[in-house]
Amino acid sequence: MDRRRFEDLAGAYGGDIARWPEAARDDAALLAAADPEFAAAVLAREGGLDAILHEAPRVAASSALFEAIMRTAPPLRRRAPWRRWIAPAGLGAGLAAVTAAGMVIGAQFGWSPILDKQSVASSVADLDVSSISEVG
Amino acid sequence: MGSSDPDEALLLRVADGDPAAVRALVGRKLPRILGLAHRMLGDAAEAEDVAQEAFLRIWRQAPKWRPGAARFDTWLHRVALNLCYDRLRRRREVVTDSPPERADEGPAPDRGLMAQDTGVRVAQALQRLPDRQREAIVLCHYQELGNIEAAATMGVTVEALESLLSRGRRSLRVALMDLAEPQRG
Repeated sequence: MDRRRFEDLAGAYGGDIARWPEAARDDAALLAAADPEFAAAVLAREGGLDAILHEAPRVAASSALFEAIMRTAPPLRRRAPWRRWIAPAGLGAGLAAVTAAGMVIGAQFGWSPILDKQSVASSVADLDVSSISEVG
Repeated sequence: MGSSDPDEALLLRVADGDPAAVRALVGRKLPRILGLAHRMLGDAAEAEDVAQEAFLRIWRQAPKWRPGAARFDTWLHRVALNLCYDRLRRRREVVTDSPPERADEGPAPDRGLMAQDTGVRVAQALQRLPDRQREAIVLCHYQELGNIEAAATMGVTVEALESLLSRGRRSLRVALMDLAEPQRG
């Protein structure tokens, strides 16, 4: 890193090297150690602007706004019992559940227990799932 | 399998309408969205409108969110910025003799007067920046996004982001140079 790049980075990201791009911080620290007067002057100049920018007004979220947003939130959805243990277990358990569902369907209709993935998938697709929420 | 997205687990619960998760997400994201919108628009009422609309988008998106596709916070920033730009475009379409908001420049108590004046001037200087320069500064300086995430949110390269930041900061320094004093480290 040279002086020009150090100034460019300070000019973009400000006077605190900790807020610079991670990839540049080590080289910046090395330059600051090797050329301390230059680095300190650059960082001080940009740090002065940072301090001023910090004075920009902050707007706090009112409780009225918070509650107004809460009122628009989706209602609690009841999931089918077999879905509740799928979600924490993730996709692998979801595939196992589809297979299990296929076996249940097969048993119901007297199908052979040896089911290929295609017939399981299409059987599950035929199920009425309108009351069951999607998993993640 | 851990996720690098700190919002993912909460979002899954929000998709189920888990009240505690909904409250936690609003608490976590509302201040950030509100701050971003307020600094982009310079108008508190419009910032609240943007925040409410952004959360409506979150509720619609939560059931469809696919982990790993993008960081939720990046997506949310983009949504909020798009809502801000909608409003900025509408302002330009309306012929008006007065700017959208004037900060109160009337008398103020002596104590805190300097701080109030500084804050007002900073807010005004930010509003006078070109939209994209203001966006870059809001994302990096105020929202504290990393350069890669900020550039991705803006849809630009990191080099372009740095150019916007540099030009924006130069303009702010000119506007505020009587206030800015070098910081002694």
